[in-house]
This record gives sequence, structure tokens and C-alpha cells, in this order.
Amino acid sequence: MSYSLETIAPYNSLFNKKMDTLLKNEGIKRDGHLDYSCGLFDDDYNIVATGSCYNNTLRCLAVSSSHRGEGLMNEVVSHLMNRLFEQGYTHIFLYTKISNINIFKDLGFYEIARVEPTLVFMENRRNGFESFLSSLEKPEGSFSSVCGIVMNANPFTLGHRYLVEKASSENDLVHLFVLSEEAGPIPFSVRKKLVEEGTKDLKNVIIHESGPYMISSATFPSYFLKDEDSAIMTHGVLDIAIFSSIAGYLGIKTRYAGSEKTSHVTSLYNQIMAEKLPEAGIKFVEVQRLEKDGSTVSASTVRQAIHDDRFDEVLNMLPESTARYFSSPESETVRNNIKNMKDPRHY
Amino acid sequence: MEIKKPAMAGTLESSDAQVTVEPGNGKIELSLESSVMNQYGRQIKDTVLETLDRLGVTSARVTMVDKGALDCTIKARVECAVFRSCDASESNIPWGGAIK
Repeated sequence: MSYSLETIAPYNSLFNKKMDTLLKNEGIKRDGHLDYSCGLFDDDYNIVATGSCYNNTLRCLAVSSSHRGEGLMNEVVSHLMNRLFEQGYTHIFLYTKISNINIFKDLGFYEIARVEPTLVFMENRRNGFESFLSSLEKPEGSFSSVCGIVMNANPFTLGHRYLVEKASSENDLVHLFVLSEEAGPIPFSVRKKLVEEGTKDLKNVIIHESGPYMISSATFPSYFLKDEDSAIMTHGVLDIAIFSSIAGYLGIKTRYAGSEKTSHVTSLYNQIMAEKLPEAGIKFVEVQRLEKDGSTVSASTVRQAIHDDRFDEVLNMLPESTARYFSSPESETVRNNIKNMKDPRHY
Repeated sequence: MEIKKPAMAGTLESSDAQVTVEPGNGKIELSLESSVMNQYGRQIKDTVLETLDRLGVTSARVTMVDKGALDCTIKARVECAVFRSCDASESNIPWGGAIK
């Protein structure tokens, strides 16, 4: 039996239907984020294997249970990796069930972290995570209290500033991670610049790029998890496992985060941190959100205001540097990005 | 030859090998994964290094996932990845030139 590998284009409803059926039979939901899919078809155009990718990740990989052991996954993964390479992605990640880990080890993937009993996070570089760790800036000398903060800063508000300031005054050293993944309307370079400008007077703050290992829940693949909450939980536990390794390397003993009332995802994530971080020997400090004139300062409120052309109303929530950026002509594309969003609060 | 950009050649199918080359920092770093590592690991490694040497590659990060490829296949895949990485595949492939 020979198989042919075909692209599954978004408009090809027949192929897409076949792909969905195969995924369903193998207990997988189609991921919401896919930018390319392919399938292996037999002579009668029955689909026997499928795989997809999104940015630098491989997703929705499945082989029909009646065609296991024929090396079909190898063909699918080869094809997808060639494609990613052509697009310039050389550092490739995937998420899979723990039971499948050996299949992907054989294909040149290495384990980064796992969440028992559901999922493993893998990459195609040996010692990739170790070399990421050693690339992080780590100041010489001994510090009695070191803490960490992770933020998206989308964009940097006085709320972020308040959190960093508090951490900075209570600790010798603050490692501040800005999520480098491009998932929202404001590009990473801008987010990082605004964080840098907004914290440059705080001398004990080191700003890091979070790198490819910490990803936002927005693009976390949830396709083989049973519901949304378990996806959020699994993402949280995985993220904390990775943060704990980074913390171990940098000597971080405390993690600060802002409290969350409005976003279900973030509040659930904070709950997981409160539970899991102490297990890894890291103290979790949840800081009450800053309020200005009776309303809570939050980046989503700022995005909403930019979206509705009411930027003046949120000026009291922004540090001078962020306010200046959004009033200047250089932010025009970014502002348009936000204005074109359907729901600027969530993305 | 100088490795200018990341390039890949080959597949993960049986009897083939997937070779990735990336710009290195002054030396050859080889990361090898093979289904026949216990039987032929050393020979595969020698073949890769020898091929790189003939091509005059002195600085590269090379990753190879081998699925039981023969020596000739390994050579071909390494050569191809190197040629792609310095755009030699677009003009003059030095067939039989740098390779002996």
C-alpha cells in the first residue's frame, strides 16, 4: 500500500472533514490555532495520518489506530519540520501525551518538562533548555532575597509599575520576565521597551526575555485535554514547572503576581501558583491590584479605552513613558491593531 | 565552506537520516540520535565528521536523527544540508569537487 502526502488547505472541506474524523477517533480535538495541516492518504483517499503546525510548534499529530507501526508519523513529522525550516523556524516544540513520548524521542525530540499524568513538552534540541538558562543574565555576588515576576505588559501600566516597585523595595534583586511570545496586538519589542522605560529608575531590577519556553495560555494547545479548565490547569502546572527550573538557576525564592478578579484564566492560574510554587520551595506573594479613582488599573481596560478612542480616560493608569508612546505617531500601527480587535480585553 | 544559515536535508523515514546544520562558534558540535546507535554510532559519527571535513566546514552545529541510513545516504544528506546552508544549491554544486 502506498500513501500520498497532501496539504489540507483550509478551503478543502472534504479533507478537513476527514482530518477531523481521524482526530476524533484518536481522542483529539482540532486545535483552534493551526496555520498548516497535512495528511497521508491511501489509494482510496482514506486518511491514515495527519499533523499540523502553528508558529514553531507541531500540533494535532495522529495516526489511525489501524495503521500504527508503519512509520507514518515519521513521514508526517519530516514533512512538517521541512516546512517549518523553510519558514525559518529551527527551534521546534511539541506537546504530546506522556504515553507517546518514545515515538517523539525517536524522531529527535527531547523532553523539557512534563505534567503528570497528561502531557510532556518537547523540543528538537538536546540541552536546549540548559543553554537557555545559561544565557540568562545572572549578576555576580550574593543576594539575600531574590524574587521573580512574569508579565505580559500589554501594555505596561501603573499597576505593573506598582507590583515591580513593591517587589523591588522588599528584595535585593528582582528578575522581571517579559513574555516574548507574540500573541497580542502589541509587539514584544514595544512591550519590552515600555517596561524598560517604566522601571529604569529601579536599579535592582533585571529585565529578561521569557524566551520560547514560557508561553501564554492563549496559544497553549488544549486539543487533547478534556475541557477548558483542565487546559488552563495543565498549562499552569507546566508553566510553573518551567518557572521553577529557571528560579532554581537564578536563585529566585519568591514570585510576585497581581491579584485577579475579572479574568477567570488568570485567577485560576494564581490559584495554581499558590498551590504549586511552595512545593518547589518558592514563596508566592499575591499583591492587591492598584486602584485609581475607584477603578482597578489593568492593561485590558487600557486596551479597551484605546479601542474605543477614549485614551484620555486612562491616562491616570499609565506611567509617563507608556502614555507618551501611545500619544506619539510611532504607535499608530499598534493603536490600529488594537482598534481592529473584536474583543480587546481578551485575545 | 561556511555555514551561513540553518538548513535541513533528509527525512525521518526508515533507512534515511535527517541532518540539520546551523552556524557554529568556531568548532563542530555534533548531536547524533540513531536507531542503531549501539551498533554503528561511532561509524556514523566518523562518516559525518569526515564529510564535513572534506567540505571544509570547520564551524557548525550539526544535528542528525538517523533511522538506519547507509554511509552513502549519510554523506549525501550531510552534503545537501551544507550546500543548502550556503546557497551552493542555487548555482554551482561542486559535485565530485570538494567531495572525493
